[in-house]
Amino acid sequence: MWKSLIKEIDMPDHTEIDLYNYDEFVPEKFERWMRFDDSPPVGKLVPDFPLWNLDRSTTSLKTEITKHAYTIVEFGSFT
Amino acid sequence: MNKVAVDFENSDIGSVFIYTHEAHPGENYPHLTSMDQKFRHAEALRDVYGVTRRILLDALNGACHRHFGSMPNMTWIFNRSGVPVYKSDWSDPYSVRNALEYYLEIPNRRKAGERLAPFHVERLDYRNQERELFYESLERNGPKAIVEFRKAFPSG
Repeated sequence: MWKSLIKEIDMPDHTEIDLYNYDEFVPEKFERWMRFDDSPPVGKLVPDFPLWNLDRSTTSLKTEITKHAYTIVEFGSFT
Repeated sequence: MNKVAVDFENSDIGSVFIYTHEAHPGENYPHLTSMDQKFRHAEALRDVYGVTRRILLDALNGACHRHFGSMPNMTWIFNRSGVPVYKSDWSDPYSVRNALEYYLEIPNRRKAGERLAPFHVERLDYRNQERELFYESLERNGPKAIVEFRKAFPSG
């Protein structure tokens, strides 16, 4: 199931995917993504999003953040 | 952040790392073009940087990351209802620890008879920039990452 989901998300809009996964750290490519001021407010429910475990199984944001009294979610990458 | 996760795991606090996109792509870890590559980079994050928290991958188009403001290394805390109670545009273990200690006191304050109501607070916290570690990580990404960062931030 995860393979079809990944393929679906890999394919639909290459422009969006390419822009998001910029190939150079230059202001015209990375600054558009620094949008913390537009992020959702605290105190309001947020929509759910699909996520993947490292073993390729699927999960979702809602599944993960409703398991504990509180859940810390750090966003980042290797680079 | 790993230590914060360990220190609070017995207090019903969960902790996950969501893998986003390459902020400083280089020759060794270039920009992402497929989910397979994203899985490989996420595994490298676990193995090279020793991230012991569960690593979850966002979609290749960054739908989740973008919804929350797409900052390169930010932290949010959610309560069990799925409501964000803390958001920070950079990750700082001191700030996160401070917030968790505050939230964990809430049940005790209620038990003590306080009638608590939520309110909003805005605060400027301070993080350790860890410049040496940052430049070491750029080197790991590849020379291109260093050149581009120095060009974008000459005084960085």
